[in-house]
Amino acid sequence: MTFRTRLLLIFTVAVAAAVGLVELVVSSRTREAFEGVEARRVDAIVAQFDREFKRRGAEIVRIVEGIAASAAARDIAIGPDPSLYVDQAGAIAGTHALDLLELVAGDGTIVSSAEWPARFGYKEDWLTAEPDWKSRGAFLKREEVPEGVTLALVAVGTAVYGDRKLYIAGGQKLDREFISSLVLPEGMRVLLYRNLNPQFAPSELIDAAGPAERAALLRPLIEQVESGRRQAIQTVGSGATAETFHALPLTGYENNMLGVLLIGSARRDLVELEAAMLRTAIFVASTGILMGIVMSWWATARITRPVQRLAESAGSVAAGNWGTTVEAATTDEIGQLARAFNRMTHELVDQRERLVQAERVAAWRELARRLAHELKNPLFPLQITVENMQRARESYPDQFDEVFREGTATLLAELANLKQIIARFSDFAKMPAPEMQAVNLTGLAGETLKLFEAQLAQARISLVTQLDPQLRPVAADPEQMTGVLRNLILNAIDAMPQGGTLTVRTAALGNSARLEVSDTGQGLTPEECERLFTPYYTTKTHGTGLGLAIVQSVVSDHKGRISVLSEKGKGTTFRIDLGS
Amino acid sequence: MPLAMVAASAATRPHYGGTLRIEIRQAVQAPEAVGVTAGFVITNWDPGLRAVFSADDNAPGGRPFLDSIDIEMARPLRDQSVDLELGKTDLVELGPNELRRQAAGRRVWSSSPVRLMALVFGPRVDDTHVREALALTLDRAALNVLLQRQGEISGALLPQWLSGYAFLFGAEANIAKARALVGELPAAARSLSLAVDDPSMRALADRITLNARDGGLTVTVVAANSNPDVRLAEARIGSSDPARALAGIAAALGLGEPPKADTAEALYAAERALLEGFRVIPLFHLPDVYGVSPRVKGGPGITPLGEWRFENLWVEDRP
Repeated sequence: MTFRTRLLLIFTVAVAAAVGLVELVVSSRTREAFEGVEARRVDAIVAQFDREFKRRGAEIVRIVEGIAASAAARDIAIGPDPSLYVDQAGAIAGTHALDLLELVAGDGTIVSSAEWPARFGYKEDWLTAEPDWKSRGAFLKREEVPEGVTLALVAVGTAVYGDRKLYIAGGQKLDREFISSLVLPEGMRVLLYRNLNPQFAPSELIDAAGPAERAALLRPLIEQVESGRRQAIQTVGSGATAETFHALPLTGYENNMLGVLLIGSARRDLVELEAAMLRTAIFVASTGILMGIVMSWWATARITRPVQRLAESAGSVAAGNWGTTVEAATTDEIGQLARAFNRMTHELVDQRERLVQAERVAAWRELARRLAHELKNPLFPLQITVENMQRARESYPDQFDEVFREGTATLLAELANLKQIIARFSDFAKMPAPEMQAVNLTGLAGETLKLFEAQLAQARISLVTQLDPQLRPVAADPEQMTGVLRNLILNAIDAMPQGGTLTVRTAALGNSARLEVSDTGQGLTPEECERLFTPYYTTKTHGTGLGLAIVQSVVSDHKGRISVLSEKGKGTTFRIDLGS
Repeated sequence: MPLAMVAASAATRPHYGGTLRIEIRQAVQAPEAVGVTAGFVITNWDPGLRAVFSADDNAPGGRPFLDSIDIEMARPLRDQSVDLELGKTDLVELGPNELRRQAAGRRVWSSSPVRLMALVFGPRVDDTHVREALALTLDRAALNVLLQRQGEISGALLPQWLSGYAFLFGAEANIAKARALVGELPAAARSLSLAVDDPSMRALADRITLNARDGGLTVTVVAANSNPDVRLAEARIGSSDPARALAGIAAALGLGEPPKADTAEALYAAERALLEGFRVIPLFHLPDVYGVSPRVKGGPGITPLGEWRFENLWVEDRP
């Protein structure tokens, strides 16, 4: 991933994250505000319900007490035949706008029932169980009616005349008419679940318009309130149709669960507001991302162009153009970096030149020393021979011829030696450029090793070959590479005067080919390894010290790499890696 | 004789003239079905709405005192009662509710209990246990309260005054036994539909529903024309001869024709056979009850069997 891409990604992620965070915070705060308002509205409705409940209760108590004090109640209470009044309750209830009214004798026998006229004569034991109904006030009660059961707000009054007593149990149904009397704010509704059956009955969940829709969705909430007998809150539905319901238990005079009041608050406004905020956030984020792309393109263009130039210059330096420089027009960090780069390449060039000069001087000194050493060895016999010949001519003329003959032979031999030394130096100086062609190192190694079979056997050296037959050809000069391999084999033979094992390996190394020559000789010290390829350096008692220098020169001309791995006492391995 | 006493005596003395105004609930479609007795001839007939009978000067027993009888038909019981209170009519039928509302001192004519009120099962309910269970749940005393105790509680088809043995047919409720019977029934058989021929008797149906619930049965009141499982029906005693009356009731209630019975024992056996399968559950025997205006004199204008006898009535108009 490029720096520009990365920068663009960072910009985009940063903008999107910032917008998302703002959206999250705003949504959260909005939701909190909505829920706060909703809670206050619910409290207000609950208070309104309580007030209406108490007002109606007080009204029913007043009506029931009025009936108890009426002449009609007196007549019924003291009348000799209750059956004469079997339809009285209906008439009285109609007069007083009561949905329910039962006139019950002192023993609990129904004299007359408005809600269920046929129930006269049945017992209402719950009435006789309470000693003082007057202090009870109005309460919720489950009432049986011909259609089934209903929930009602009931009050009980008593008319007592001597030993005769008449209970007047009157009330009003808690139905949709009651709910519709509540004043509700926009978006809210009140539902009443009348807990009249052992199992949840959807038809008993009503609102101001009648049976409530989606009653089944509220079943878990209602059952939760019924079992826990305390307020519960639940959101039903999803999206714009979602509603949050606050459910409150309604208990009867025996503290039995008779109903659940549900106050629903539509979440449409909140959902729509959240959707609007989300749309705005998406718009802002999209705009931000777009701006981010433009800005990041501009910023990266400003930042990465100098960096890119620096990278190109560094690549140029790595390619060998040590004098490469970059433009340092600005004073910012990039400008400082460019100036530092320029100083670095300048220093590199200087140091390289100094190093080259130092190496050149050192090479010349070494060359001079080696040359002096090489030339001194034949010169000394030459001088001795000439002095012997002079001394023989002056002191032993009779032996001069013989000395002269021996002396000239020695002179010629040493001169030949000098010529050979000079020829070697000349060869090193005249190393030709390699003529590249596809060379299979495995084949080249096999053919070269055949030339050394007799010599290896004479030196008691066993040969081990680990040649890769699948090795792909590499570009190389076969003659020079044969010379390299021959040189390394001779070095190995010299390293094992007591015999040993010579191992030659070829192997593929990615697109490269590897050639290794290992011996089991005495090995080299790290210091020796460092100086091994220096011209005229040798660890042997004979030789010019140019062999490995030539090897390194050939490998270098092939754009290859030669290294040495050695451990004192365990042998040495020369490794050559050549490109394809 | 003091003057006041003379005046009172003159006021109660029969005299000719005047029209007896009658309102009935039924919409009679044939003049002979109206039931006006001898001494009057039809002079105006509007089927189902109005009938006017005039005195027959040549009647075998002599001319009736009344000049005419004006009968208005298809009048609800409540309207009849109101018209009687307002003096718009002279003779009206009284149902239980209207009877309760009658002012104190109102003249009332009652026949003997000549109408049998009973539950009649349809052919769909073929399980005797269901029918018996419903019969055992019925609290006839409570039901009679709804009839202002006008009914004579009975478990028999013929009333006691006609057969003399009606008390032998049990009419008591036995909820425990009813529940035991219901407990053996499949759930589907425990539900019954009940229709009432006379809408004014709806309160009775509601009470029967309650009684049935006590016994474990579910009874639902339905419209009369909905082919119910059981109907609350009335049958009229058409004859003072018990055997003929029994045959008439059996025919009216859809029971089989009883065997001819010459003795009380045979009649009893015949009636018991009719009731054996609980196809019909007798509840009450009810009288015909009429409210009578104070201006109607003479009478009573109905026989124990509920037949009209208006030839000896007269009317007086007081200022």
